[in-house]
Amino acid sequence: MTSKRRDIVREDCRRALAGGTEMLAPLRNSALFVTGGTGFVGTWLTEMIACLNDEHGFNVHVTLMARQCGRFVETAEHLAARKDVTVVLKDVRSVLDLPPETQWIIHAAATPDRRVHASDPVGAVDVIVNGTRAMLVAAVQLSQLRKFLNISSGLIYGTQPWDMPAISESFCGSLDCANVSSGYPEAKRFAETLCAAYQSEHRLIISTVRPFAFIGPYQPLGLPWAGTDFIRDAMLGGPIRVHGDGQTIRSHMYPSDMAYWLLNILVKGRSGQAYNVGSARGVTLAEFAARIADCVPGRPRIEFGVLGERRPPASKRVPDVSLCASALSLGLSTDLDMAIKRTISWNQTT
Amino acid sequence: MKKIIVSDPTLRDGNHALGHQLNVRQMVMYAAASDAAGVAIVEVGHGNGLGASSLQVGESAIEDLAMLGAVRAVLKHAKLGVHIIPGFGTINKNLKPAIEAGVDVVRVASHCTEADTTQRHIGYAREKGRVAYGVLMMSHMAAKEVLLNECRKMESYGAEAVVLMDSAGAYLPADVSERIGFLARNLSIPVGFHGHNNLGMAVANSAAAAEAGATLLDGSARGLGAGAGNTPLEVMIAVLHRMGYSTDVDLYKILDAADLAERHLMPKIPTISSLSIASGLAGVFSGFAKHVERVAAEYGVDAREVFRELGNRKVVAGQEDVAIEVAIELAARKGEEK
Repeated sequence: MTSKRRDIVREDCRRALAGGTEMLAPLRNSALFVTGGTGFVGTWLTEMIACLNDEHGFNVHVTLMARQCGRFVETAEHLAARKDVTVVLKDVRSVLDLPPETQWIIHAAATPDRRVHASDPVGAVDVIVNGTRAMLVAAVQLSQLRKFLNISSGLIYGTQPWDMPAISESFCGSLDCANVSSGYPEAKRFAETLCAAYQSEHRLIISTVRPFAFIGPYQPLGLPWAGTDFIRDAMLGGPIRVHGDGQTIRSHMYPSDMAYWLLNILVKGRSGQAYNVGSARGVTLAEFAARIADCVPGRPRIEFGVLGERRPPASKRVPDVSLCASALSLGLSTDLDMAIKRTISWNQTT
Repeated sequence: MKKIIVSDPTLRDGNHALGHQLNVRQMVMYAAASDAAGVAIVEVGHGNGLGASSLQVGESAIEDLAMLGAVRAVLKHAKLGVHIIPGFGTINKNLKPAIEAGVDVVRVASHCTEADTTQRHIGYAREKGRVAYGVLMMSHMAAKEVLLNECRKMESYGAEAVVLMDSAGAYLPADVSERIGFLARNLSIPVGFHGHNNLGMAVANSAAAAEAGATLLDGSARGLGAGAGNTPLEVMIAVLHRMGYSTDVDLYKILDAADLAERHLMPKIPTISSLSIASGLAGVFSGFAKHVERVAAEYGVDAREVFRELGNRKVVAGQEDVAIEVAIELAARKGEEK
């Protein structure tokens, strides 16, 4: 990765940490183990830890476990080469034991890629269910473990009612369990229940986070999500194609804030509590596309329903993050416009 | 007024009917007429799509890029579309240069239960900023629930619309209404339909698709296409207008385009042959016709019976050799009866 890309990400981490590093003090001189460690979440966590170590003397050692690390080495070789980072290639489902010095675990192994959910629903479910079980079994053996952070998903809530401004952690929601599309969120729900069972029976200290949508560096623009599609179309000169009438509402968080929030929840989150992680600022896809277009020279054209769409009902997915704000004093260091600009800038820097 | 996006595969599916021998002059002439009529997408290529020209399925008279470049140059409003079946067409060898040649719409097709094969091609087209459709061929062979799952895969890969092909011309309007309606109710992306005319139902099936929620419809001039042909575009437009749909297509100009195609593209207007009816009833891809005729003659059996048995065995394109097996069995049975 070019130094300019590294600089962008390091600046992002500094900006997120400007909210304070003292709350993260329990992490000093400790060992963190991250499953799914070379993915989007793991990479950003590692960037944040690297910043804490380099600029605040935290001396945290991170072990990243993943099935593959090719893309990680390719896009974040500066992290892979660090002495305070160890990469372990292993399938989370086959974990038997963990480094005995591990004090913190962030369990992020799973793919949020809906292409995989559609093509290999059995595999997607299996990684979450059996991977979580394997990690919990291994975690029970650790004598120094201080916290297990389970990364769940904002998708577990199912459809957000249109008249509900934002989804709070207490909303139970509903999923059609007979629908193959529910495999990923149902598995995540089960993983949360499994964590609750281990907490009850084995006295593990476990918090859960439910991430929503993100936009930022390290997100491949080939992912078929609205944010990545719009940015890629804009960078190609447009048009930006919006399906439907653009009234669907989504919110996007910048990943340096995501990493900062995860570390705070890891350290200070209450055991047994779930926390939404995302931006509470929902915007319509029409507005989102317009803001992206504004950030690109020549302002690419935006097209709506170019394929003669049936205009399915607009949907909404916005988290209520007041729990993180009130209990953990967490906020955003990067607003949507800055997130878009920095994402485009990072992707334009090759 | 509900709008239908019209895609014209005359210069692609029509190539099937002409042994893939359309030349540049014919393509340019027809593409200009279709474009002038207001058709949204003009599809170009070998009958089986990009990269399919081969001894096995027939060699094109001209190379893919020559066709695309020539047609690109005359399209003023219509988008330039291609059909690609992963396996026949690869990303680096076929799709990449086609996109560089100016293709706007990439229709990535697979057998109706094999959408998994389309992921990389759809993803590549989207990465390059092109419109990507997923196309399920031989869709009569799968239940609507299976088709929905396959369409959801394509949607997850980035397909911006999915098109059901009635490749064997086996559907009746009620079948179309059931499948298209089910997909339209359960998918968030547009649904399309591509008819074949083996049972004389192509226009009625296309109209049923529109009524059930399809917003993309394919039609070829005079129905020029594989087997008994596609949905005749000019008839489909007339019917859609009569039903109150908007298509952006000028009826008189598309009638002129059909006349032009009849004069300059086709040695004879596609008709529904007896064997096409048999293949439609059997639900077997029309591309089997030549093989079936040949083996039926060789083993002295009724070609229609060969089709019926092939239908029972649910053969798909690429399994043409099974026709020999069937003909041998039918001949043996015939011998026993004597």
